[in-house]
Amino acid sequence: MALAALLLFGTFGVLTLLGVPIAFAIGLSAAVSFLLFMGFDQSMFIVAQQMASGLDSFTLLAIPFFILAGNIMNRGGIALRLISFAKVLGGRLPGSLAHCNVLANMMFGSISGSAVAAAAAVGGVMAPLQKKEGYDPAFSAAVNIASSPTGLLIPPSTTFIVYSLITGGTSIAALFVAGYVPGILMGLGLMVVAGIIAKKRGYPVAPRSTWKEVLRVTADAILPLSLVLIVMGGIIFGIFTATEASAIAVVYTLFLALVWYREIGLKDVPAIILESAVTTAIVLLMIGASIGMSRVMAFGDIPFALSDALLGLSDNPIVILLAINIALLIVGTFMDMTPALLIFTPIFMPVVQDLGMDPVHFGVMMTLNLCIGICTPPVGSALFIGCSVGNTSIGSVIRPLLPFYAVLFVLLMLVTFVPEISLALPQLLLGYK
Amino acid sequence: MRKSVDAILRWAIIAIFTVLVACVVWQVASRFIFGVPSTVTDELARFLFMWVALIGGAYTLGQGRHLAIDLLPMLLTGTRKLLLELLILALIMAFAGLVMIYGGTSLVLKTLASGQMTPSLQIPMGYVYGAIPFSGAVMIFYCLTFAGDLLSGKATETDTVSAGPLS
Amino acid sequence: VTLKLNHNNPPDHPVHIAMQMMADRLAELTNGEVKIRIYPNGQLGTQRESMELVQNCSLEMARSNASELEAFEESYSALNLPYIFQSEEHFNKVVSGPIGEEILNSSVAQGFRGVAFYTEGARSFYGSKAINSPADLKGMKIRVQPSPSAIRMVELLGGNPTPIAWGELYSALQQGVVDGAENNPTALTTARHGEVAKHFSLDEHTMIPSVVVISNCAYDGLSDDQKKALRQAALESMEAQRVAWNEASDAAIATAKSEMGVEVNTVDKAPFVEAVMPMHAEVAAKSEKLGKLIAEIKAAAN
Ligand code: NA
Ligand code: NA
Repeated sequence: MALAALLLFGTFGVLTLLGVPIAFAIGLSAAVSFLLFMGFDQSMFIVAQQMASGLDSFTLLAIPFFILAGNIMNRGGIALRLISFAKVLGGRLPGSLAHCNVLANMMFGSISGSAVAAAAAVGGVMAPLQKKEGYDPAFSAAVNIASSPTGLLIPPSTTFIVYSLITGGTSIAALFVAGYVPGILMGLGLMVVAGIIAKKRGYPVAPRSTWKEVLRVTADAILPLSLVLIVMGGIIFGIFTATEASAIAVVYTLFLALVWYREIGLKDVPAIILESAVTTAIVLLMIGASIGMSRVMAFGDIPFALSDALLGLSDNPIVILLAINIALLIVGTFMDMTPALLIFTPIFMPVVQDLGMDPVHFGVMMTLNLCIGICTPPVGSALFIGCSVGNTSIGSVIRPLLPFYAVLFVLLMLVTFVPEISLALPQLLLGYK
Repeated sequence: MRKSVDAILRWAIIAIFTVLVACVVWQVASRFIFGVPSTVTDELARFLFMWVALIGGAYTLGQGRHLAIDLLPMLLTGTRKLLLELLILALIMAFAGLVMIYGGTSLVLKTLASGQMTPSLQIPMGYVYGAIPFSGAVMIFYCLTFAGDLLSGKATETDTVSAGPLS
Repeated sequence: VTLKLNHNNPPDHPVHIAMQMMADRLAELTNGEVKIRIYPNGQLGTQRESMELVQNCSLEMARSNASELEAFEESYSALNLPYIFQSEEHFNKVVSGPIGEEILNSSVAQGFRGVAFYTEGARSFYGSKAINSPADLKGMKIRVQPSPSAIRMVELLGGNPTPIAWGELYSALQQGVVDGAENNPTALTTARHGEVAKHFSLDEHTMIPSVVVISNCAYDGLSDDQKKALRQAALESMEAQRVAWNEASDAAIATAKSEMGVEVNTVDKAPFVEAVMPMHAEVAAKSEKLGKLIAEIKAAAN
């Protein structure tokens, strides 16, 4: 076990520090580590297979489609209309655009259920606007990255469905309802921090708008905003699934941009598609490679050694929960959400059940924890996509992210040790437990 | 040569992407409007997606757009920087060659030999996996052209290349 | 030697427990020479991936099911035919007897062989309304696994087969993207489908077993005594698993009825059987081997 962990993380660390693109660093370190367990031919075979199979999921299609819809909105003049409306919404708070970004991520992420798609679609629209108003691009990207996972907690959330399946049937309905309060608290917490920083830096406050302006801006935003209604309505009324909704969003935004506003022509579409494909490919290659990495961890019993160590640590539930959270935060730095969820839920579940923790409560805690993980270097899909659409580097975004990590960590501790934050709503609405 | 490879991949990506959107829209329309759900769009979309993701990965490498922690390359200058960039290219080629081409080809051949068919479309699963060695080959091609540029000193002129796969 | 066995159920699943029993018994019979290490929750890959790894000797053992194995060895498609088994006894007789052994050994040329069959119970339709006859299925969108036999079966019964990813099925049922699905009763509780599908109609169309497979490389490395011990351990665990499965299935039905308000109704199977009969001939016509196998299975009913 120790050898496998050393080889895997050692190789990965050296390769990333050398400057090897992260997708290749993940893949190479997985391939090298597999040699401990099987022959050369078998090792190359399994990593190649996982790269392709890791992408074999209909649900993953939502990522390129929402990214494409976001790009169309951005280039087709839809974003500008939405932003004008969001400015009215963002009100007179310092750093109005940052608040807009958070609110938009909460709405967009709630629908798409994908932090990456939200970061791409909303961040892609907001970054240039914020730059124009004098925001530091690294700060804008940090706000976008940290708030992009809110939609994984605010339902519907595919993360909770995966969690329910792994735990053998934790109520999805209860998980969904349980996600509302932590998800909204996450958004509000980030807005508070963003507001304080924006005030310190003197970022512009949206000017007071006249009623006439508010009316005009709102009317202008009705068609773009209908996207939310169409997507949510379509899901709620059973016309399409959340994944299919992403393709409908593409068609609707194309209609608005090409036919209604006529801000782009058919000839502009290929370039928009290509840009979306490139943005997507950066993330997808990493997902494929990281599935291989999680398999080699399982082969190396790395997760099991971790849970053994945990149980040997203490009898005190507070200490064990803290240790689980720290372990998950470390896991989250290296691993993407889905493989982390798949591997670590079954390991920690018996431990927390021993402590009498409710499985819904644990699901919310775990999801929030891994939400932080996808925003942290060296491996974090929200971090990567946020930097990519924000036109900034990973190196420069870390510092502005620190205060947001802090507020997320405080929220994680609250969610961990105050079960009511997660459980009160499902108890009230569903009579859960 | 690189320009034509770029162009072919570009149009392949755009074409597959367009088919993908059409596929999923048809899945919704066939079920909701016509009441006769398509039984092939789900699988077709998943397999096209695997292809476009992997080809897109190769194209993205060619555009130097994959994410890396570029601290060390930025600290170095001159010959050391050149050697490091060549080493990084060699490591990418090692992955593309050993895992994607060698491992991927063995995956394709074994899957074809065992006769595994996809459930809905009933096409050989080996064709789906063909995306791995194909993309691996394109990645090696790009790395070789990058290495050629670095060695001939062309890299210093074009910003996109020297920032290339390393940024 | 230690054989790694991957599967995608949680560790409290009756099939996992049965495989653990097989592993313990095998270690006992071989004095600890052969161990099986089980990886639950698909840690080493999905069912299809682990089959490919088994074929390539990257993994020693895997648990899949007859539906998934159809893509790897055609013999398994005989077991997936609707109403090929007339009763639970008929099913047990086939999978534990010489026919079952024939199927388990049929895939040696594909790089693996079967070790054990575990029952997953009978699959039935469930959804927004009770389905008492094929006529009730008319116009209903029924979620199926993307397998040719499942699609063909629902078509023959008059429904509209709709492939939906398993992870999206709960909300698809809840929002009415599909009107129903088909599975064994445990789906009501383990996947909580009982919360969103209030009618479970016991038409019991298919009995698709779980199958444990071992790679040729691993199998050929065992001595004759060890191979015998593996078969014995497998057969013993199959018997115990049957009992455990029925308990789990009954418990699921009881929970679905009492806690989720699901109405469970029995149906007259005759019109269902009649509607899907063309499938038996269609599949039998695919190859001589399949035709013979299907005839043998049917003959074992008496
Ligand atoms: Na959501
Ligand atoms: Na991370």
